[in-house]
Amino acid sequence: MGLYKSKYTAKPLPPVDLPELRVVGKPLRRVDALAKAVGKTVYAGDFSMPGMLYAKVFRSTVPSARIKRLDVSKARALPGVACVLTAEDLPDGKLVTDIPGQTGQKVRKGSLTSVLARDRVRFVGEPIALVAAETLEIAEKALEMIEIEYEELPGVFDPLEAMKPGAPIVYEPDNIVARWKIRKGDVHAGMAEADLIIENTYRVPFVEHAYLEPEAGVAWVDERGVINIRVSTQVVEHFRSIAKAVGVPQNKIRTIGTMVGGGFGGKEDITVEIFLALLAKHTQRPVKLVYTREESMMSQSKRHPFIITHRTGVKRNGRIVAAEIDLVADSGAYPYLSPYVLLYAVVMATGPYRIPNVRVDGVAVATNNPFTSAFRGFGGPQAAFAYEQQMDAIAEALGMDPMEVRRINYLRTGDTNATGQVIESAAWLEETATRALEALGEKEPDRGSVKIGRGVASYFQSYGRITWLHDTSRAWVGVELDGTVVVRSGVPDLGAGQVNSLAQITAEVLGVPLDQVTVYSTDSALTPLAGTSTATRQLYMSGNAVYQAASAVRKVLLDRASKHFEEDPKDLDMAEGRIFVKHNPEQSISLAEMAQICAAEGLPLSNLALFRAPFTDPLDPENLQGRVFPDFTFGAQAVEVAVDTETGEITLLKSVACHDIGRAINRAAVEGQIEGGSSQGLGYALLEEYVMEEGIPKTVTLSEYLIPTSMDFPPTKAIVLESGSGKGPFGAKGIGEPSLTPAAAAVANAVADAIGVRIHELPITPEKVLEALKRIK
Amino acid sequence: MLPEFELLMPRTLSEALEMLTQAREGVAPIAGGTNLVVDMRGGRHRPSVLVNVAGLEELRGIRRENGHVVIGATTTVAELLEEPLIAEAAPVLWSAARVFANPLVRNRATVGGNLADASPAADTAPPLLVLDAEVQLTSKEGSRWVPLDEFFLGVRQTLRQPDELLTAIRFPVPPSGAVGGFYKLGLRKADAISVASVAVVVEVGEDGTCRKARIAMGAVAPRPIRAYEAEKLLEGRVLTPELVAEAAHLCAEATSPIDDIRASAAYRKHVVEVLARRLLSEERR
Repeated sequence: MGLYKSKYTAKPLPPVDLPELRVVGKPLRRVDALAKAVGKTVYAGDFSMPGMLYAKVFRSTVPSARIKRLDVSKARALPGVACVLTAEDLPDGKLVTDIPGQTGQKVRKGSLTSVLARDRVRFVGEPIALVAAETLEIAEKALEMIEIEYEELPGVFDPLEAMKPGAPIVYEPDNIVARWKIRKGDVHAGMAEADLIIENTYRVPFVEHAYLEPEAGVAWVDERGVINIRVSTQVVEHFRSIAKAVGVPQNKIRTIGTMVGGGFGGKEDITVEIFLALLAKHTQRPVKLVYTREESMMSQSKRHPFIITHRTGVKRNGRIVAAEIDLVADSGAYPYLSPYVLLYAVVMATGPYRIPNVRVDGVAVATNNPFTSAFRGFGGPQAAFAYEQQMDAIAEALGMDPMEVRRINYLRTGDTNATGQVIESAAWLEETATRALEALGEKEPDRGSVKIGRGVASYFQSYGRITWLHDTSRAWVGVELDGTVVVRSGVPDLGAGQVNSLAQITAEVLGVPLDQVTVYSTDSALTPLAGTSTATRQLYMSGNAVYQAASAVRKVLLDRASKHFEEDPKDLDMAEGRIFVKHNPEQSISLAEMAQICAAEGLPLSNLALFRAPFTDPLDPENLQGRVFPDFTFGAQAVEVAVDTETGEITLLKSVACHDIGRAINRAAVEGQIEGGSSQGLGYALLEEYVMEEGIPKTVTLSEYLIPTSMDFPPTKAIVLESGSGKGPFGAKGIGEPSLTPAAAAVANAVADAIGVRIHELPITPEKVLEALKRIK
Repeated sequence: MLPEFELLMPRTLSEALEMLTQAREGVAPIAGGTNLVVDMRGGRHRPSVLVNVAGLEELRGIRRENGHVVIGATTTVAELLEEPLIAEAAPVLWSAARVFANPLVRNRATVGGNLADASPAADTAPPLLVLDAEVQLTSKEGSRWVPLDEFFLGVRQTLRQPDELLTAIRFPVPPSGAVGGFYKLGLRKADAISVASVAVVVEVGEDGTCRKARIAMGAVAPRPIRAYEAEKLLEGRVLTPELVAEAAHLCAEATSPIDDIRASAAYRKHVVEVLARRLLSEERR
C-alpha cells in the first residue's frame, strides 16, 4: 500500500545571486524578545488608569430572534453602575462589516449593521447592551439584571439550506453574500479532451483563532477631547470606522496598538474598540474591557467552513487539461470579510498548477452561525486542503507517483494562473516539495495494525493585498546626533516580528548594529500609517517603506560624506556605525560625527516615505481575468504519520516544511513563523473544530475546543530557501500566512497513504478514520 | 468571574468536619479546585461555602500500612508520580497519573478530589477500581470505608454525605505476580478529557491460569465501571487470544456510553473492546 515512494531526492537549486548582508538575514535576537521573555511587555489587558471603569457586554443567547422587550433600568439603578448603553442610546451607531464597493460586489444591506442589536439578533453572542461599572463584579451583576424577551424566529444553519428557496432570510435581500467566478479557456472542450475525470467533494469546519490573549483594551477621553483607545488590534486604521460609529470626527479618535498576543486575523475586524469609545465618551472616564475566553470564542469571527467540489479532467500522461471547482462558504450572520476570503479561495482554488481550461464558482452564504472572517491564510488553507488532496486522488487514479503528477503540472515563472496573472517571481514548487519529502528520510515500517503513511502538499499563497485595493504604507526614519536611529511606523506587531523586521532592515541600510535602532509603532496619531498587519503584507509593504525612508537618509549622509572624503558616494559604505571608503576602510568617520555635520548644515536627517503596491482596476467578477495580487509565496510541507487502524488514532511522526521566502530578514523569526504556522495547520488537520448545533456553539472553552499541546506533534523542521525574487525588501516574500496553508492537506494525504482510503473532511479524527476504513471493508 | 462565596480555612481535620456539619446548604470541600473552580466560574456549581482542606496534614501522604497502600485524599496527582511506592506497587495507577491532564493541573489536582468529583471520565478511577480500592468517608460521627465501586452512584453522584469528607484511599498491595496496564484514549496527547479509558490488572499463576482479573473503564457509562462478566470469564482460565477477545467483547457489552462532542457512543464501545483486548494481550506474555 502507499502512493508515495519511501525516499525522494531533490535536484540542486537553480543558481541565485544573493549578496551577503551585514544585519539582514542573521538570526539576531529580536528587539521585542527580552521584554516578552521577562514579562515586561505591557499587553492591552495589563494596562490600567486611575478612576477606570470596567465594561461588560450583554449578548444574545439565541441564534435568531426578534427582541420583544429589553429593560436595562434595574441594571442602571444598581449602585456602582456608571453607564448602560443600548441601541436606543446610539441611534446612528453603525458598524461597517465589509468595505462595500471595493470588492466589485454590490453594496450589501447587511454590511452596515448596528453596533448594538436594536430589534433583531442573528447569532448567539451578538452584542445587545454595554455596561460600565466601578468594579468588574458590579458590571457582571448588572448584566444579570438586564431583562430581555425574545420572539424566536426560524434560523438557518447550513449554507446549502440557506441557498434554497423559502429558507429564512438572515438579512435582506437574500442569503447570497458574495459570488466570484473564474472563466478561463474552454472548460467543456478541456473535459472532452480528458482521458479521465476525477470528482471529489471536500469539507472544512469552523475554526477558532484561539490566541493566548483575548480581545482587550482601555479607552479614555483626553484634554483635547480625543478618545484614545489602547487596544490589541491588527489595524490601527480602524479609527476611521470607529469615529463614524461613535459619531465624532476622525481626528478625535486615536488608536494606540499594543503588542498583540496573537491575532491570526481574529483582530483584523473591530473587536472592543467601539464599545470602549462609546463608554468612554458617555462616562468621560477611562474604561477597560477584556473579553473572557468563552466570550472571545462565542462572539468573535471564525475561519470559514467551505464545501469544495473538484472535477478535474486529466490525460493518461498526468497532464491536467480542465478543472471545474465549486466553492460554498458559510459567511455566518454578518458579511465582515467574507467577500474577500471567498475571492482568495476562488483565486487559489486550482492550486499552483498550469490548467488551460478553468471554471470556478464561489459563493458565500449567510447563516445564523457565528460570523466568519479573516483567519491566517484567508481562504487559502481551505482551498489547499481540497486541491492538494485532489492531486493525490488524480495520482492514485492514474497509478502515478503523486510527485510526478505535481511536477508535470506545477506553475513555472512566466506561466499564468487561473486568473491569467503572470507568475513573475521564482516558483520553486518542485524544489520545495522534493526537499520536504527528502528530509523525511526513510519511511518507517508498519507495525501490525499501525500503518505508516506519508504525504506532501504544495501551495501558492499571495502576500500583499488585492491590487485593486490600492495599498500603501508609510514609514519615517531618522538619525539622531549620536548616530542612533529612530523608526516611526504604524505597524501593529502581532508577535511575528513585524517591528523587528523594520529595525533590522533599517540597521542594514544605515549600517548600524540592531540595538542602535528604536522603533515607535502602532499609534494612529503619532506614527505614519502603515496599513493593516494582515494579508502577509507588512514585510512587503512597510519593509519597502522603511527601506525607502532609510535609503533616502543614507543618500543624504553619503552625499555629504563624499565631499568630506573627496570620494564618489558609490565608493563609500556604512557599517558598524561608521561611514568608510570601500577601498580604504581606514578612512572613515562615525555616523554620529557625520550626523552632526549634516545637522549643522541643515541637511535632512530624516525621511517620511510612502510605498505603493501595484495599483490595478477591479476585475470583472463574472470571469476574474487579470492581476489580483502583487505576488505569491510558494512552498510545501511533507509529513509522516502512524495510523492505528483499530482505534483510528493518528500520530504525527515527522513534519518538514520547505518554503521559498525570497529572502530572510531574520532567519530565526522565519523559522519561528514556519514552526508556529505548521502547528496551527496541524491542529486544523487533526484536532480543531468549532462545533455548532442549530446555531448554538458547543465548544466555547479550551477544554472542548482542542488546540495542539507541546505533546501532540514533533517540531516541524523548517527548510528556508531564498530565491531573492520577491517584491519585498532585499527580494523578500512573505511567510506569515503561507506557513499554515499546506499542513492539513499534507496530513490528509499521509493518512490516505497509510490506510488506502481518503478522508475528505477536517478534522481527521480517530472516529472518521474508522468510518473511512469501514467503507473499504 | 467567580460568584461570591464564603471561604473557610480549617487548621485541623476535626475543625474541617465541624465546619462541614455547621455549614448551611451549599457547602463544598475544596482541595486543588481544578474542577470546582472551573465549574463555579462557568456557573454550573454555586456553593455558598467552601471548606479548604488542601492544607490539612492529616489528609496528606502515601504510606504502606497493614498490607495496604494508603493515599491521603489531598495527595496530588503529581505526588503519585513522584512516590516510588506507587510506581512499584501500582504501576497501573502510576500510568494513569502520567497522562492525567497536564503538569500544571497535576500539581494541584488531588486524588480524593478526582474521585469525589465523580466525573465518568475521572482518570484515577479505573486504575483504583482494578486495585480493589476503598475510600474513607469521615464525618464528625466517625469514619467508614466504602469500596470505590460502591462509592460511585452516577454522573457526579457519590455516596458521600454533605457532612462527610473523603479522607483517604487504600488498596491491598497487589501480589508480586500481578501485572496491569492503563490506556487513555483522548483526542490529543495531553490535557484531554478521556474519550474512553481502560485499566487492567491480572494475576496469572505459574500454570498459566488467570487467578484474578480486574478490568475497569472510564467515560463509557454514567460512572467509572468494572467489567464483571469479562473478569469472571477470565478467572480460572488460561488467557488464550480467543478468550481475551471474548472478554474484550464482554467489556464493550458492559458499557452504556453516550454521544458527545468528543465521540459517538458506537465509537466508544468499539474502542473499549480494542483497548481491553490489547491490555489483556500484553499481560498474557
